Amino acid sequence: MPHLDLNNKQLVFKIVYFGPGLSGKTTNLLFIHKKIFDKYKGDMVSLDTEEERTLFFDFFPVSLGSVQGFSLKIHLYTIPGQVYYEASRRIILEGADGVVFVADSKIDRLDDNIDMYRRMITNLNSFGVDLDFFPIVLQYNKRDFDEIIPLGRIEEILELPEDILVTESVAISGAGVMKTLQLISKEVIRNFQLD
Amino acid sequence: MNEATVNGNSDLSINETLSELVEKTEALTALLISRHGICLGQAGGARLNATALAALVAGMFSATKEVANIVGEEQFSILLQQGKKRHIHISLIGQRSMMVIVFEDYSRIGRVRLAAKRSSPALVRLLNKDRKDQKDALQDISIPDFKEYALNLIDRIFVIGEEEDASP
Repeated sequence: MPHLDLNNKQLVFKIVYFGPGLSGKTTNLLFIHKKIFDKYKGDMVSLDTEEERTLFFDFFPVSLGSVQGFSLKIHLYTIPGQVYYEASRRIILEGADGVVFVADSKIDRLDDNIDMYRRMITNLNSFGVDLDFFPIVLQYNKRDFDEIIPLGRIEEILELPEDILVTESVAISGAGVMKTLQLISKEVIRNFQLD
Repeated sequence: MNEATVNGNSDLSINETLSELVEKTEALTALLISRHGICLGQAGGARLNATALAALVAGMFSATKEVANIVGEEQFSILLQQGKKRHIHISLIGQRSMMVIVFEDYSRIGRVRLAAKRSSPALVRLLNKDRKDQKDALQDISIPDFKEYALNLIDRIFVIGEEEDASP
């Protein structure tokens, strides 16, 4: 359920980029921020360590325009992917209207992807989210590497529904990034309903 | 004195209540933000990035709650950040919102704290009223039309460029 702010007549949807450490979540957001025209976006906030690993989150708002008198906004967040930041991930994931799971396609990261996806599902369950109706896009990132996880492998291990939305990307060059964003944003909008 | 707001006027909106607080404490700005980092109201003349501030403060407050749990507290209800020139007082408003007051003269901390405490019940009441009004306001939205227009906006703004094929 998006946040409705009556004082400012705005409807805000929250999309979170989730995934294991170094899978390319921040790279996705940086590309999106570069790509979107200035008039639609706010400043990007990044909280990272000296090694430029995300410490807490990256964030920026997008203003899509006015729909039926309401200003429509999407807030984009990333989570810190390192295993020991579980508390931060939980905080950021709460209230999300949709998730992009950024999987690292490198073959040796398969277990990390599986582990982080399960953590995400555990958290969503704890918030009372109905996973049958919750928008998730599974993005296989880093498709430019030589030895990569074949499409379908993560879904198979996790026994994900056959109709889960899947994209391929090379976030560092931007390939697949905007397509993923379009896909998750549209799912979030399609999923919007009055309780 | 009615403690519903700083000056006792219980018929104010959220922004008016915050304005009253800013005036009373001579603060630079006051914001009401949701636990999820959305700015719900703002008053004062300082030109701050309220959207980013709301996201950061919500994260900070949630992180502090985890710290509280570790040291055996349920949560800390007030956070105070003291800078060289500017200071921030953050207080919980009910269970789902926070008020952020940015001020300069640190000797006013007592006044800021008192004003925050006094305005809290009125803000809780206004937030509860807001939640009820939200349902009514959403009823005015035609969902099919809303979705169609919103999907068009997404196509227009999240433009897919030439760099897009990532298949190996």
